[in-house]
Amino acid sequence: MTLLAVDDLVVRFRTRDGTIHAVNGVSFELEEGERLGLVGESGCGKSVTNLAIMRLLPKPAGHLEGGRVVFEGVDLAKVSESDIRDIRGKDIAMIFQDPMTSLNPVLTIGEQMVETIQAHRKVSNSAARARAVELLSMVGIPKPEARLGDFPHQFSGGMRQRVMIAIALALEPKLLIADEPTTALDVTIQAQVLDLLRNLTTEHGTALILITHDLGVVAGMTQRINVMYAGFIVETAATADLFESPSHPYTVGLLHSIPRIDAPPGEELVPIEGRPPDMRHAPAGCPFAPRCAWRLDVCWSENPPLRAIDPTARVVSTGAASTHQVACHNPPTREEREAGRPLGDRYHPAPPPSGALDELSMARVGASAGEPDGAIGETADVWPESSSVSASPSAGGLPIDPTDR
Amino acid sequence: MPHGAASSSATTGLVAAASAAAGMTAAGTAAADRPLLRVEDLKVYFPVKAGMLIERHVGDVRAVDGISLTLTRGETLGLVGESGCGKSTTGRAIVRLYDATSGRILFDGVDVAPLKGDALKRMRRRMQMIFQDPYSSLDPRQTAAGTVSEPLEIHGIGSPGERRGRVRELLSLVGLNPDYGERYPHEFSGGQRQRIGVARALALEPDLIVADEPISALDVSIQAQIINLLERLQDRLGLTYLFIAHDLSVVRHISDRIAVMYLGRIVEVASSRELNTAPLHPYTVALLSAIPIPDPKVESRRRRIILKGDVPSPVSPPSGCRFHTRCWLRERLGNPERCVTEDPVLRTMGLKHEVACHFAEETPGATPSAVLPA
Repeated sequence: MTLLAVDDLVVRFRTRDGTIHAVNGVSFELEEGERLGLVGESGCGKSVTNLAIMRLLPKPAGHLEGGRVVFEGVDLAKVSESDIRDIRGKDIAMIFQDPMTSLNPVLTIGEQMVETIQAHRKVSNSAARARAVELLSMVGIPKPEARLGDFPHQFSGGMRQRVMIAIALALEPKLLIADEPTTALDVTIQAQVLDLLRNLTTEHGTALILITHDLGVVAGMTQRINVMYAGFIVETAATADLFESPSHPYTVGLLHSIPRIDAPPGEELVPIEGRPPDMRHAPAGCPFAPRCAWRLDVCWSENPPLRAIDPTARVVSTGAASTHQVACHNPPTREEREAGRPLGDRYHPAPPPSGALDELSMARVGASAGEPDGAIGETADVWPESSSVSASPSAGGLPIDPTDR
Repeated sequence: MPHGAASSSATTGLVAAASAAAGMTAAGTAAADRPLLRVEDLKVYFPVKAGMLIERHVGDVRAVDGISLTLTRGETLGLVGESGCGKSTTGRAIVRLYDATSGRILFDGVDVAPLKGDALKRMRRRMQMIFQDPYSSLDPRQTAAGTVSEPLEIHGIGSPGERRGRVRELLSLVGLNPDYGERYPHEFSGGQRQRIGVARALALEPDLIVADEPISALDVSIQAQIINLLERLQDRLGLTYLFIAHDLSVVRHISDRIAVMYLGRIVEVASSRELNTAPLHPYTVALLSAIPIPDPKVESRRRRIILKGDVPSPVSPPSGCRFHTRCWLRERLGNPERCVTEDPVLRTMGLKHEVACHFAEETPGATPSAVLPA
């Protein structure tokens, strides 16, 4: 059964610097007990999407400009403030990246846990304390009774995140939103916390939205993944399908940007060139076009919708059998996915409509000059590294020392 | 653009002269096999004080507690470990941003630990640092060109005109438009700022670069740009890197050899490849198994070793082997007493593979599939 349906969500921030187009029409569904990953870089709109779901957008800048969030058949935008407060914590809980800033430093862990429980359930102090002890031992905190009287600063980072998980799960919510829950933690502690999250959500049948920039984390934790870029979902697929055949150039780029610990020696990294998008401008075409080596002329003018890779398939939007969908005019081929870059004749990123050469277009100069590593420069305001482009006039008359190579 | 052309040729001369000098020193020392850097029994303690008016010394944070390492010219040594293990303190002590409590830091045969004043300043020309956070490591009131030029001014290199040319050259070397030298840090993205930091570190043509978490503050898509830049610069300029990071996959990618630190000590040193395929220290094994792999098929087949608890305090590290409180191997072996009583020293096992564990022979490191599916 569908637990959560997000339909065409649009969020804007009005700031002194202009309007930030944070979320630009995001739709997805979540089944009961399903674990969904939301992957993207800082500023891609993944956290804002979830703040909007919880109706926690920062005021007064944040505006939900369109779309619906339906949780268990209820449109969350239409419920009263007291009702949404009731839903938060009880039905939808959230844990954040930094447990130090989400716990109150002047209250003991016990006080905070009892407060949470009593805010939603009419139980005695002693019953609430007993529940708190139970929760702390569930998340693996040694001597839970003694530790109830401790303040957040007396816990280590990993322990604080365990406390956060305990508080979030105190009321057995149906949905847990975890926003970069392990990013602030060391890798061995991350493994502990992920293990705990996986076991607890499976055990209690809690649905999970896991927000992260780390593709490794979602690979082992989720059934389905939405990849976000510039406030759009650019690819969605069952976890196995996404890693088996990543189909958006951005996803392919992400997978080639990080060294893998199990890769053969001499693995080559293929960076995504350029810089993250400036969200103050609504993109005219595909938001990834300025950084995309696969782009065509149409990419500059037309933002491709999310559509099934297999056009004949019936679209399934949840679960491990969900349809693989991608928003791209020119998806990479299998060979290109493996190489991380366009191959052969396809290596002709279309120049921007202004007619000016940006660095991706300029990179063709370097590539055709026989640059073996196919290094391509950065976007408009960054220079191709002097090794990667020959000192031709089209490279802008770079003062490159010819002996420099 | 006549000005550009003129400065270009001027700087070529400047750089040529400098590199000739560098070539001479390399030949002059006539010790190609001498390591560029040798650290011997380095300790860096930070005092813990108590008392409001009269401060009493109540203990020490033993951030680095007796480590030794060597770096040969042109190689990259990765220094990896979790927060608080002392990896950054080691890096900072080497470039003398922190004072060593004891031990020797031999840079090209000269102990830099006791150096002061001019002698230290001369030595610092040859070792530079790249910092983690490109937001806080750049002066917001200084232009990119000012930042890159500052080391040249401090060390009195070149005329103002030559310096301007050299700055342009450095900016384009790291992939920045040299015309953007007049911009301020806030006008650049994180990746671009890190490039400015790299250009500043390269300004004095150092031999050694200590890079402390140079990519961990950057977006994923930008990280590979900086890694590739560092690798390309090393190839072209023959740099030696001490690459400090918490992320073993990144360290493995860029390093020739890796030293793993835990609680102020080096617990294992091996070639990048060997450390990955046949780790011998139980901590390294756990570290490797904890790294998520972006491949669900692999993830589902992995056996993960989840370490219990947290890293103990470096104020009062555990007796014997510092890892014994969390060690899964010790538990498997029935908690031998030796781990609690005897501090293991780094010993060589196999070819240039050093490990500080009494029971390294028992680590299933020889069977890599235990950690990573082949």
